[in-house]
Amino acid sequence: MIGPNVILFTIFVGIPILGAFALSLFAWTLSGSPTWVGLANYTAMFKDPLVAISVKNTLYFVAMGVLPTVFISLGLAMLINFNFRGITIVRSLYLVPAAVSLAASAVIWQYIYAPKLGLLSYLFNQVGITPPLDGFLFTPGWALPSLDVVCIWTALPIGILLYLAALQRIPESVIEAATLDGAGWFRRVRYVIWPGVSNMTLLVAIISLVTFTASGFDLVNILTKGQPIFGTETLIYYIYFSAVNNSEWGYAAALSVLQFVIIVGILGLLASARRFLVRRP
Amino acid sequence: MRLSRRTLKAVRIFFATAVGIVLAGPLIYLIAGSLMSSAQVDAATPQFIPSSFHFDDYVQGWNQVLQARTFLNSVIFVVFAVGIQWALCISGGLAITKMRFRGRTAITAMFAVSLFIPVVTTVIPVFVVTNQFGLINTYPGLIIPIAAQTGFGTLLFRQYIVTMPQELFDAARMDGAGWWLLLRRLVVPLARPATAAYLAISVITAWNMYLWPLLAANAPHVETLSEIVAAIGQGDNFGYNVSVPAQFAATVITVVPMVIAFLLVQPAFVRGLTGSGVE
Repeated sequence: MIGPNVILFTIFVGIPILGAFALSLFAWTLSGSPTWVGLANYTAMFKDPLVAISVKNTLYFVAMGVLPTVFISLGLAMLINFNFRGITIVRSLYLVPAAVSLAASAVIWQYIYAPKLGLLSYLFNQVGITPPLDGFLFTPGWALPSLDVVCIWTALPIGILLYLAALQRIPESVIEAATLDGAGWFRRVRYVIWPGVSNMTLLVAIISLVTFTASGFDLVNILTKGQPIFGTETLIYYIYFSAVNNSEWGYAAALSVLQFVIIVGILGLLASARRFLVRRP
Repeated sequence: MRLSRRTLKAVRIFFATAVGIVLAGPLIYLIAGSLMSSAQVDAATPQFIPSSFHFDDYVQGWNQVLQARTFLNSVIFVVFAVGIQWALCISGGLAITKMRFRGRTAITAMFAVSLFIPVVTTVIPVFVVTNQFGLINTYPGLIIPIAAQTGFGTLLFRQYIVTMPQELFDAARMDGAGWWLLLRRLVVPLARPATAAYLAISVITAWNMYLWPLLAANAPHVETLSEIVAAIGQGDNFGYNVSVPAQFAATVITVVPMVIAFLLVQPAFVRGLTGSGVE
């Protein structure tokens, strides 16, 4: 009964994971037969300046995406965790971005980020700040955080939903007791709510991590193609580019292995962070 | 005291609503823009409320940008990828929970490990495998590699089936019922909440998927809506002079079904994420 499942899983999940390692030892344009090159792809990787840039951009993109997603979604969940007539409609406003694909988000945000007539440039001008002249997506320093904002926008609702579920499990009496003991808002959050939702924090962090690693492709390929001056060149985009545009499938596989190592590393960090998160007073 | 409490609540409601409008803002902006005239969308001062409604942009967006074929492709992709994956996951979930066979623990562990490996890291070798089968730019090539990502779903159903009483299965087995009959008559009906949670997450994910369709289905007869919407974002004008409102309208058509679906199924969505055994 498990047969069909395991067979397909092995062909399209298991073999590709091992296949990435195998393929990384060859040079291959996808036509003809692959040439054995040993570790040459890996030595080339260390000399390739784009690898260092794309790894740095990926780490920046993921960190500047996951951390705000965790904290902002907790904050927003706390904000809408109360009842009044019309709460369903207000909550819906918070949740709709989750269903919007990154491709569709790119269409919307491109207009928001456009130079001169774009909505954000307009708002900047209104409050007296000079917006970046070439638009937010094509000015070095602005581009990568701008992509992060789009991604955070689509990632927040999942965090909000999960945190709402966790908040509703903290008994009202515990919070009231803390208030009676004279704990202010900050202390209640720090010593009651944050420990109370710690398991969920780990889940939100893991889901966001996987989301942001993947999103590094969609938005970059649609909006910036790695520009300006490789400011948004992410590892997954470089993998795609090496394979599809440069026909270097072996090299792309070696880069995939690098990406794999990085993700495992970050997950390891999260696992050790868990000890600090789950500690209860 | 009571008055100040009420005032506080009113302030909180106002604040929560204002933040909500900002968050939904980009989507509202897209919908508003799709109804405006071209001149109004490009006005020097950004506009939020259409001065007159232009539904003809939806006709242009559908006919010249999206096209029925692409919409159909997306529907086929989602229905088959999710349908096949569901069948694999629920039967697999039953097998690793209630059947006794060698390697059960190893298989369960294998699924668990795969949860943490984003599809993007394996997309190159998956493409190579699919290409070796000669399936690039075919429906099976688009669908099967995604249907095969069974890690999450199998564990989700396992989590649910574990809670079903063992006596139920033992009794049915004693009466000579086969596992497939048990699956059809017992597990599928009882696991309906798990199926709902699974579908909520999988359908939205598949509908919005971009990287895999771009690699595996890049020809007009198989391409999906995400690829068309991405082309809009890249500034493609589709060989016609398609106006900005028509581009927005095309995007709205792809987004709104999922937005409505998501709002309806979000409790199931949360159950799916929290019950997935990640914790």
